[in-house]
Amino acid sequence: MIVANTLFTRTVRTSPTIMMGLLVLPVLGGLLGVLLPAFGWFPALGSTDFGLFGFAELFATPGIERMLLLSYGTSLISTLLAFFITVLILASYFNSPWLKRIQRLLGPILVIPHAAAAIAIGFLIAPSGFLSRLFSPWLTGWDTPPDWLFPHDPYGLSIILGLALKELPFLLLIALGVLAQPEIGKVLKQQHKVASSLGYCPMTGFFKVILPSLYGYMRLPILAVLAYSSASVEIPLILGPNTPPTLAVAIMQWFNDVDLSLRIKASSGAVIQILVTLSLLLTWWGIELLVKKCSASWLTNGEREHGGMIIKRFTDVITFIMISTIAFALLGMVLWSFAGFWSYPNIFPDQFMTMHWQSAFTQMQTPLFNTLIIAFSSTLLAIILTLLALESEQQSNKTISAVSGLIIYLPLLIPSIAFLFGLVWMFEQVNSQHTYLNVIFTHLLFVLPYVFLSLANSYRRLDPRFSSVAASLGAPPSKIFWQLKLPLLISPILIASALGLAISFSQYLPTLLAGAGRINTITTEAVTLANGASRRASAVYALMQMLLPALFFILAWLTPKILSRARA
Amino acid sequence: MKSITIPSLVIDKLQLKQQDKILLSLNEEIIGGQVLTIMGPSGSGKSTLLNWLVGMLPNEFEATGKLYLNGVDVSSTPSHQRHIGLLYQDPLLFPHLTVEGNIAFAMPKGNKQDRLDEISDALKRVGLKGMERRCPQSLSGGQQARVALLRVLLSKPKAILLDEPFSKLDSQLRQETRQLVFEEIQRHSLPGVMVTHDESDAIAAQGKVITLDKLI
Repeated sequence: MIVANTLFTRTVRTSPTIMMGLLVLPVLGGLLGVLLPAFGWFPALGSTDFGLFGFAELFATPGIERMLLLSYGTSLISTLLAFFITVLILASYFNSPWLKRIQRLLGPILVIPHAAAAIAIGFLIAPSGFLSRLFSPWLTGWDTPPDWLFPHDPYGLSIILGLALKELPFLLLIALGVLAQPEIGKVLKQQHKVASSLGYCPMTGFFKVILPSLYGYMRLPILAVLAYSSASVEIPLILGPNTPPTLAVAIMQWFNDVDLSLRIKASSGAVIQILVTLSLLLTWWGIELLVKKCSASWLTNGEREHGGMIIKRFTDVITFIMISTIAFALLGMVLWSFAGFWSYPNIFPDQFMTMHWQSAFTQMQTPLFNTLIIAFSSTLLAIILTLLALESEQQSNKTISAVSGLIIYLPLLIPSIAFLFGLVWMFEQVNSQHTYLNVIFTHLLFVLPYVFLSLANSYRRLDPRFSSVAASLGAPPSKIFWQLKLPLLISPILIASALGLAISFSQYLPTLLAGAGRINTITTEAVTLANGASRRASAVYALMQMLLPALFFILAWLTPKILSRARA
Repeated sequence: MKSITIPSLVIDKLQLKQQDKILLSLNEEIIGGQVLTIMGPSGSGKSTLLNWLVGMLPNEFEATGKLYLNGVDVSSTPSHQRHIGLLYQDPLLFPHLTVEGNIAFAMPKGNKQDRLDEISDALKRVGLKGMERRCPQSLSGGQQARVALLRVLLSKPKAILLDEPFSKLDSQLRQETRQLVFEEIQRHSLPGVMVTHDESDAIAAQGKVITLDKLI
C-alpha cells in the first residue's frame, strides 16, 4: 500500500513505538527498581552489596507462612468459586431468557470499583450489618450485634466473598461475550442442539459439548483474574485480617513505613509475590490437566442424564443468594449514607438525613477535582495513543505483532505491587517532583490496556472500503481519520473512554504511591474511611465511587443516540 | 511515453505476483468514455487489480509495471492523490453524514453556496431532487446507488473503477442504474475499469472485455 508522507502519517507510524516504550520502560524499570533492593542493593541505606538478607528478614517475619497461605488460598478459592458458579449459571440457563436477565443484573457490577464493592460487602457482613439485622431478632434472637469476626476474619472468608462476587460478573460476561460472537456462539448452539437430538439432557449437553470448547476462550481471562486477585490490595485491606494481612497488603505497609530499612524486606516480598502469582497460575494449570484427564472417559461414556434438575435447582438457589447478596450490600450502603440514628436490630434507620452527603460534598471538592483531572488526562492520552496505534496498523496493513500485543497487557499481567514501588523509585531517580504528572502517567499504564482492548475490535472491523472510497474521492489519510473514521467510531470511542475513566477512578495503589500520599482521590479517601470510624461517610464515598463511572457510562451510551437523533 | 491529448488510463506491462507466482499480466490503454470490463472467477485477481489501480495493493502482493493517468505516471502516487474514483457493489455512503454531506465530503474545496447549488443540480439530474438533508439509511437501494455515483463524479475524478457495482440491485433497477452510470462516464469522458461476474454488464459497457483465469 502506498502511504503519503505527511506529518499525520509520520506521527501515526511512530505511535506504536511510543506506546510500547511508554508501557515497557516503566514496568521493566519498575521491576528492576524492586529487584535490586530485593537482592540487597539499596544505596540510600548505604547497602551496595548483593545478598539474600532481604529474603532472610522476610522469612523471619512472624506470620509470614500465614500471609503466603492467605494470598494463595483466598485467590485460588475465590477464582474457583467464581468460575464454578459461572459455569453452573451458564449450564442451567443456556438457551433460556434468564441468561440475558442475569447478564443485565450483573453487568453494572463490573463498573463498581473493588474498594467500593469491598466496603459494601463489609457493611453487609459486619456484626451490625444488614445481614444480621435482616434475620434478627425473629430468627436469631439477637438484640445486640453478634460477636463474630466478619469482616476481617482470620481465615480470609470475607476476602473470598468479596473477590468472588467481583470476579463472577466478569467471568460470566466474558463467557456470554464469546457466545455472542456469531462464528463461535452459533456453532456451539448448534452443537448443543445436536447433543439434544442425540438424547442428552440440556445440562449434560452443556457440560459435555459446550464447556470443553467454551473453556478455551475463557482461560486467559480466568488466569488474569487469578493473577489480579493474588496481588490485589483494596479488598484484603478492607475485608481482610490485620494480624497478619495478605502478603500484598503487608508489602504495601512495609513500603509505606517511615522506617526505610523495611524497603529491602518489602522488595524481597514483592519478588515472592510474583512467585506466589506464578505458583497460582501453575496450580490452575495443574487442576486443568487433572480435570481433563479425569473427564476424558466421562465425556464419551454415553451417560445422558446427570441429575440435571437437582443441579438446576441448586443453581437457582445459588443465583438467588448471590443476586440478593449484591442487592442487599448496595441497599445497605445507600441506607447508611442517609442514616441518622440506627438502632440494632432495626432493618431501617430510625431517622434519615442528608447531612452526610452535604458534609461529604463540602470536603469532597479537592478529591473529586483530582479524580476527574487525573482520569480525564490519562484517558485522553490512552485514547489518542490507542487510536494512532490502530490507525498505524491500517496504514501498514498488518496487525501488531504477538509480542507487542503481550506488551500492551504487561501492566495487567505483572502484579502491580511488584513494579509500582520500583516505578516510584524511578520517579525519584529522575527527580520528578510533579506528583500530579506522575499519578497521571501511572494511571495511564493501567488505563491504556483496557482502552486498547475495548477499541481494537471496533477499529479493526470498520469496513476498509469506507477508507478506500474516501481516498478515491481525494481525501488524505488525516481527513479520513478525522472526518470519517472517528465519527463512524464515536460510539466505541465513547464506551472506551468511559471504561478508561472507570479504571482510573478505581485506582488505589497507583494513586497512593505515585502521588506520595499527597494526592487524594475519591478512591483513596474511600479506602481510608473504610477502616475509620464513620460508616456513614464511608458509605457516601463508596457510593460516589460507583456513581462516577456509572454516570460516564450512561453519557457514553446516550451521546451517540442524541447525536444521531439530532441528525435525523 | 507518447503525448496524449484525450483522457486516458494506461496500464503498462503490469505483472501482479503473489509469492512469486504471476497472478495476472496486463497491458491496456483505456480512452476517456470507454469502459474496460474484467471478468473471471473468484480468486482470479480481479479485486487485486483494482487495489493496484487505486494504490492499495496489500503487502502480500507484488507488482511490476506502470500506471499512467492522462500521461502522468501515478504508480507511486498515494491513493488519495490519484483522482481515481471507486464504486463498490455497496454504496458505502457515510452513515454519519447526510446525502448532501456525503457528496460535499467528496467535492473539491470552494464557495459554499456554489457547492450546495452543484449538489442540488446533480441530485435533480438523477431524480433525487430535495433529498439533500436525508440520512443515507432512509434512502432505497437504488437511491443510495445514485448518491454514491454522484459522490464519485463530483469529486472530479480522472478515471473511474467499478467493482461489481450493480450486483446488489434487482433487475429493473440494475438496468436503470447501469444506463445512468455509463451515460455519466461518457458525459464526463472518463476512462473506466469495471470488474463484474455478469455478462449483461459487460455487454452494456460496450467496451473491451478481458476474462482472467483462476490461478491454480
